[in-house]
Amino acid sequence: MIRFDNVGLRYGSGPEILRDVTFHVLPGSFHFLTGPSGAGKTTLLRLLFMSLRPSRGLIFVLGENVSDLSAGGRSELRRRIGIVFQDFRLLDHLTTWENVALPLRVMGKKESDYREDVTDLLRWVGLGERINAYPETLSGGEKQRAAIARAVIGRPELLLADEPTGNVDPVIGNRLLRLFVELNRLGTSIIIATHDYALMDQLNAPRLMLHNGHLHVR
Amino acid sequence: MTFFSDIRHYPWTNLLTGLLPVGLAARLPARFQSKQSPIVPLASIAGNALTVVIAIMSFLACLTAGAVYMINQSAQAWVNDISSEITVELDPVNEADIEKKMTLVSLFLAKQKGITEVKPLTAEDSAKLLEPWLGQSSALQALPIPRLIAVEIDRSNPPDIDLIKTALSQNFEGVTLDDHRRWQAEIRTLTRSAALGGIAVLGLVAAATIAVIVSATRSAMASNREIIEVLHFVGANERFISSEFERHFLGLGVRAGLMGAVAAAIAFLLLPLATHMLGASTVTAAETQRLIGSGELDLPGYFLCVLVVIVVACLCMITSRLCVIRVLKSYA
Repeated sequence: MIRFDNVGLRYGSGPEILRDVTFHVLPGSFHFLTGPSGAGKTTLLRLLFMSLRPSRGLIFVLGENVSDLSAGGRSELRRRIGIVFQDFRLLDHLTTWENVALPLRVMGKKESDYREDVTDLLRWVGLGERINAYPETLSGGEKQRAAIARAVIGRPELLLADEPTGNVDPVIGNRLLRLFVELNRLGTSIIIATHDYALMDQLNAPRLMLHNGHLHVR
Repeated sequence: MTFFSDIRHYPWTNLLTGLLPVGLAARLPARFQSKQSPIVPLASIAGNALTVVIAIMSFLACLTAGAVYMINQSAQAWVNDISSEITVELDPVNEADIEKKMTLVSLFLAKQKGITEVKPLTAEDSAKLLEPWLGQSSALQALPIPRLIAVEIDRSNPPDIDLIKTALSQNFEGVTLDDHRRWQAEIRTLTRSAALGGIAVLGLVAAATIAVIVSATRSAMASNREIIEVLHFVGANERFISSEFERHFLGLGVRAGLMGAVAAAIAFLLLPLATHMLGASTVTAAETQRLIGSGELDLPGYFLCVLVVIVVACLCMITSRLCVIRVLKSYA
């Protein structure tokens, strides 16, 4: 599913942010990615999501060597991956429903084919009453849930989430975790970057610990 | 082909809402309203200034195409007219009985094969031809004005002009034949020059339109950079992203092109009236009419304006597409 071989990353001529990172993630697994602030969690997710290129080493995502991929190949691969950003990245001029439906629209699916699915998912994440609301009128927690709904609507093979429960109360946080677990049961591999130990303690999942640019699996 | 697919899938029914003021557009039936918001907001691309600039370009292109078309039509009619006629000129100097000579030459010409009609012009007719330049003056009668014989030829079975020319010079002194070839060549040169000038103007208009669209596309991409990033993250490829931009530019091109074409059509309708109101003299009016006809555009001429709208819309769309793909490659 995912393989990192001696991956290193530096910005320009600065020091290495990630050093000799090597790990494997098996299909259908659930991992937490954790570490102190500034340890490189978001950078590692960006490498997984191909928005950064490693300075050295090899990265395989869903069986593809990301260094060999063309722009079209990267787009195809990204359609198989869902991502939840720390800053949500919702489009302000689209309604909540349109934001969540975006990956399906990009895939070229007909609106009539996914209309109900999107509405059902929004209800499930507690945004049933906010379907036609624009992001600027949503609270931080609502934005977070909309961003998660957008990441999972396309039934991705791999879900990457950067602090997905950072802006929600514990009840909603638990509900979102249940959504991730349910997706994982259906075959989606999950990597959640978080430093919320209470959340991690709820699941017996392997932890990828980042510290001083090095990664340890625990 | 994605280009034709984008045209086919363009929300044409929504175009009407784009042409009307916002308040009026909101009252249109639901089928004219967009079901989903565009991923790239329209307001970030199609500013009024850009629409006006493209509309002006379309207006200029329509005017140029229409003017070249009119000149070409008029010149073609003129060439057809003079190529079915030759003129025989008799020099009146040192000629005791010019009228007798006119009759003899006319009879000689009437016997030749391929000539359908021989029409000797009277001295008054010849003098009238000079009136637009010399005015009505009794002094004209004192001048040795050449006498003319208009000869109509059978275009399906034309005579041997060179043979007639030789026979005339052998049998009659001071008689020359003008088959208007020089005029035809000059008219053709004039038409070609006008067409080349028109093509050059159209080329400049197209280049300016492309430059404006490239600049607008780059600016739109810069202001929508976050949207492009999100689209990349949800798996959109270059084709999808470029189609989101090019649809807006296609709509912009159609709207602005229509504005320019309608303005040009009105200008062509008013052209004869404007020429008259500007107080053109008889000679100027006659010259203008010879050059561009009546100044009114016929149906194929208006079709040219429609063609300009289509070309402008396609130009906007293709330019924005190529520009978006190029910029996206630079992002990668």
